[in-house]
Amino acid sequence: MDISLTPETIFHFGSFPITNTLLITLIISAIIIVTSLFLKKNLKIIPTGFQNIIEYILESFLNLIDSVTHDREQTKKFFPLVVTIFIFIILSNWVELVPGLGTIGINVAKNGHSSFIPFIRSSSADLNVTLAIALISVFSAQFMGIAAIGAVKYAGKFFVNPFRKPYFIGTFVGVLELISEVAKVISFSFRLFGNIFAGEVLLLVMLELVPYFVPVPFLFLELFVGFIQALVFAMLTLVFLKIAVTETSH
Amino acid sequence: MELLNNLGVNGKLLLAQLVNFAILIWVLHKFAYGPILKLLETRTKKIEKGLKDAEKSQKKLAEIEEKEEKVLVKARKKAQEIIKKAEELAVENANEIVIVAKEQTEKMLDISQKQIKQEKEKILREVKSEIATLVVSASEKIIGEKLDSEKDQELIKHSLK
Repeated sequence: MDISLTPETIFHFGSFPITNTLLITLIISAIIIVTSLFLKKNLKIIPTGFQNIIEYILESFLNLIDSVTHDREQTKKFFPLVVTIFIFIILSNWVELVPGLGTIGINVAKNGHSSFIPFIRSSSADLNVTLAIALISVFSAQFMGIAAIGAVKYAGKFFVNPFRKPYFIGTFVGVLELISEVAKVISFSFRLFGNIFAGEVLLLVMLELVPYFVPVPFLFLELFVGFIQALVFAMLTLVFLKIAVTETSH
Repeated sequence: MELLNNLGVNGKLLLAQLVNFAILIWVLHKFAYGPILKLLETRTKKIEKGLKDAEKSQKKLAEIEEKEEKVLVKARKKAQEIIKKAEELAVENANEIVIVAKEQTEKMLDISQKQIKQEKEKILREVKSEIATLVVSASEKIIGEKLDSEKDQELIKHSLK
């Protein structure tokens, strides 16, 4: 059993490494895109079947975001980012539940000994993916903040004049805010990565120890964890967006 | 950087994932959220409008029913009035007609009685005058003949009978 912290490279495309997580990401993206195209083509004013489910999910999110922003216009601005994060992350989290996780793959001889490279690896168990989403989430918050309250006012959140009221405390808090923006990226990406990577390892170990029946409860656990982590990522993004577009009050 | 490398962070892959996710957001925004949210909105509006319309039409229906009832009541009242009036008029007319008819018959009776009387008198007068002439001529004839005693006697007897 090989457990690798990093995603395994299946082959190289020129100098570009094609990892198993990149493949999974592309497959998930393709599924989402095809589904959305199919949905758009078959959109009906009286919904049926699949459209009902999607509408229910999207409307729930609309209400959820509304309950945070209290503003329909803002909701419409935040909606694409927050919901895409949720959908993409929940699908990539649930990839670890696909049968064949860690078992279907190829053996590659490397440095004298052969190592096993699985094809299926949850893309959330790749720091590149989680970091990319975290960067998009945090940078979107910066851009939306600047667009909503102006560059000067937005910068004023972080750079506070030490000679005005609350004096040095204000300046210090501003610097802390600046650091926390960077910390957000790290906490976002490592939280998701850690949870899903741990889940994968757990499932693999369980499968190795007791192949039958015992891994089932852990599958349910991971189903739950995958949902929670996706929701946490989306909700935190939403809250950070809301904080970014809100002016500081003194 | 060493740490990130050990954790599997690779600049190329990171960039690829960034682009990937950005495209995903754009596509979903364009093809899923936009149309579906729009649809939801239009449906909500439609349902709202439908409910409002239904309420309105119900109100209107109630109003119309009320009006109808009023009109019906009015019409019934008027019809009764008209019937009553017609009955009264008819009774009056009938009385009048009867009275007129009575008068006319009485008049006609009167006239006919008078005529009958006049005719009678006329006939009587004519009969009288005729009888007189007859008597005269008869008596002339009788007197012109020889009056014997026998005949005389007979005449007397006859007259006496």
